[in-house]
Amino acid sequence: MGIKPTCKEVHRLVSEQLDRDLSLVEKSRLRLHMLVCDACNNFSAQMTLIRRAMRQFPIDKDQP
Amino acid sequence: MTTPDLHRQLEAMRPALLRFALLQLRNPELAEDAVQEALLAILEKPDQFAGASSLRTYVIGILKFKIIDCLRVAGRTVQIQTEPDQSEDDVIDHLFTTNGHTVEAPRNWGNPDAALEQRDFFRVLEVCLEKLPAQNARVFMMREWLDLDTEEICKELQLSSSNLWVILYRARLRLRECLDLNWFVAR
Repeated sequence: MGIKPTCKEVHRLVSEQLDRDLSLVEKSRLRLHMLVCDACNNFSAQMTLIRRAMRQFPIDKDQP
Repeated sequence: MTTPDLHRQLEAMRPALLRFALLQLRNPELAEDAVQEALLAILEKPDQFAGASSLRTYVIGILKFKIIDCLRVAGRTVQIQTEPDQSEDDVIDHLFTTNGHTVEAPRNWGNPDAALEQRDFFRVLEVCLEKLPAQNARVFMMREWLDLDTEEICKELQLSSSNLWVILYRARLRLRECLDLNWFVAR
């Protein structure tokens, strides 16, 4: 673990925070990186969208 | 609703239910059984859903229960592969340079509500789910579709937590890439 969190570390944390509580250190590393990184912000929004989509998946007779 | 009506509506839903059971269970016989049991349970007590928001929501709820039952029984006989193979590692590694930057920065997908309002978006998502490796899909669907908590999934599948987190991470990366290529680029 370097001093500055990398995109690689932050991507993983973004996914893992959907499955567990991050530690305080992890949270602050995540937040720090998010302040300066568009790529990880986009990635985080994408992960949230996937979760929302799965939770409201429509199943009905209209689908092929 | 009369019984013949209910029957007809359930029959109309059956193909979609079966596709979802199959996505989760990856075994046609188990999927058929789960759907059959769910539909029978509803037909046996047609009054039960009277107060529920919609028949569809009610049916999906019952189906999820039946699928969880199936997974519990199957879990005892079907061992899940816990050691990731080489190709699995590549899913993560090929996204990043050696110093931890993204090779290709994830782009902005725009307003999420706009995607979620479109039926076609969910069709693409379904195709992407079908393309996931079976073990990946099974675990991911347990977490995100059946909404099971991680402890329960670990127990059912005898996985360590850290193993589970990595499997879910890989599944999300694969789905992200598939959606990016097949939905957001195509827009």
